[in-house]
Amino acid sequence: MEQQPRLIEDYIRKNKRDTVIICMLMVILLFSVIFAIGYILGAPPILTMMIGLPIALFYIFITYSFSIQSVISAAGARPANPQNREEKLLTYKVEEMSLAAGLPTPKVYVQESRDINAFATGHKPTDAIICATTGALQQLNTEELEGVIGHEMSHIQNHDILVMTVTVGVVGAIALIAEIAVRMLFWGGGRSGDRKGGGNIIVVVIAIIFIILAPIFSRLTYLAISRKREYLADAGGAYLTRNPEGLAKALEKIKTDIPDDPKGSKTVAPLYISNPFKRALRDSIWSTHPPLDERIRRLRAM
Amino acid sequence: MDLITWAIILLIILIVVIILLTFWGIYNRIIRTENQIDNAWAQIDVQMKRRADLIPNLMETVKGYMMHERGTMESVTNARAAIMSAKTPQESNDANNMLTGALKTLFAVAENYPDLKANQNFLQLQDELTHTEDKIAYSRQHYNDSVLFYNNTIETFPGNFFAHRMGRKAREMLQIPEASKEVPKVSF
Repeated sequence: MEQQPRLIEDYIRKNKRDTVIICMLMVILLFSVIFAIGYILGAPPILTMMIGLPIALFYIFITYSFSIQSVISAAGARPANPQNREEKLLTYKVEEMSLAAGLPTPKVYVQESRDINAFATGHKPTDAIICATTGALQQLNTEELEGVIGHEMSHIQNHDILVMTVTVGVVGAIALIAEIAVRMLFWGGGRSGDRKGGGNIIVVVIAIIFIILAPIFSRLTYLAISRKREYLADAGGAYLTRNPEGLAKALEKIKTDIPDDPKGSKTVAPLYISNPFKRALRDSIWSTHPPLDERIRRLRAM
Repeated sequence: MDLITWAIILLIILIVVIILLTFWGIYNRIIRTENQIDNAWAQIDVQMKRRADLIPNLMETVKGYMMHERGTMESVTNARAAIMSAKTPQESNDANNMLTGALKTLFAVAENYPDLKANQNFLQLQDELTHTEDKIAYSRQHYNDSVLFYNNTIETFPGNFFAHRMGRKAREMLQIPEASKEVPKVSF
């Protein structure tokens, strides 16, 4: 028997659950790194937490607070100009898609770039931003643009913008703490000799290896979340437009489009509809996005 | 009291708590979805009015160019009048579909008037009318999506158990005319 297609609401709920689990994994990873450092330095766990946690939380808080401005300025984006017909039509499409999703209308921005691309950012649907490149406005027709905007609106609806913003913060915090730890170990030469009792050398070595690998783990987790969410946003976008073909055609155009002077920060690459730095044609655990061919195939199969 | 009595009491408390929590969740979801449906309905209404308000401007712009298309222009004006005088949702829905059809003809006919097509005012109105038309379509779609979600909530377990006691009944979806847009099958 064919499996009953589930409702998008069910996916959003499942997505929220997955999100909670992944975020907890990230937090556990963060805690483990801090503990591992404390163990190597021979500091009591409570002291480690009292020093490590505020640093991490402060870093995450700062990334969160400045995320919107930093994404916008990294992309060199500006608010859409209603005097320009293309940009006005973009604003119209964003309004239409927000009606279809039943969400407040996001602010509309435009990024000067010949590439076809778009991204969504913000913390919650009420402060969300959708930005499209001038290349997308010039090269995509109404149907394709609608597909792209539907995809971005779906990122907002699925709370992806928040998840990505926070995970960027946690990944950064883990990298920062690991960096500090590695430097301290080198400068201090490790003080395992001074420690009385507790922890043997093997555990210390494992802890060091763990600290060195932790940023990679967190980055891989982050990329895995990103790829999974792209498929979901494609499906959600198709559900909003009721026209998977529009987005499929847009992705085909993106596939043949050669990236030109990529702008913006690499950490926000997952926010774009396709990676602005590299065309992900092959699947890899390092990809921010699933391969375009596979995305097109899934859209056409809907 | 022995252990078994305690265990039974604990179990009963647990069951009651679970039922209460489920009821809490379902109750909130029903109320939220009802509000969402009302809001979606209001949106459709707002968009229909907005479109009707644009018509006089369009007629003013077109008048000078399309002297010989009296029939087309009249059907647009009539459809607008029908929207303004509509009393029930069904009437306003029908009138709106009438206007959609009339506008489609008008824009098709406008293709034969190069002067008109070069008129900035006309272009702007055409963009805006297409936009409101799309907005109406998407508002209706959202309305139906919300109704579907609502009906699923109150007709499936455990929602049906509470919804029945709350006196909630399944809502009706809007019949969308040329509803060629099919819901894509979501699968991963």
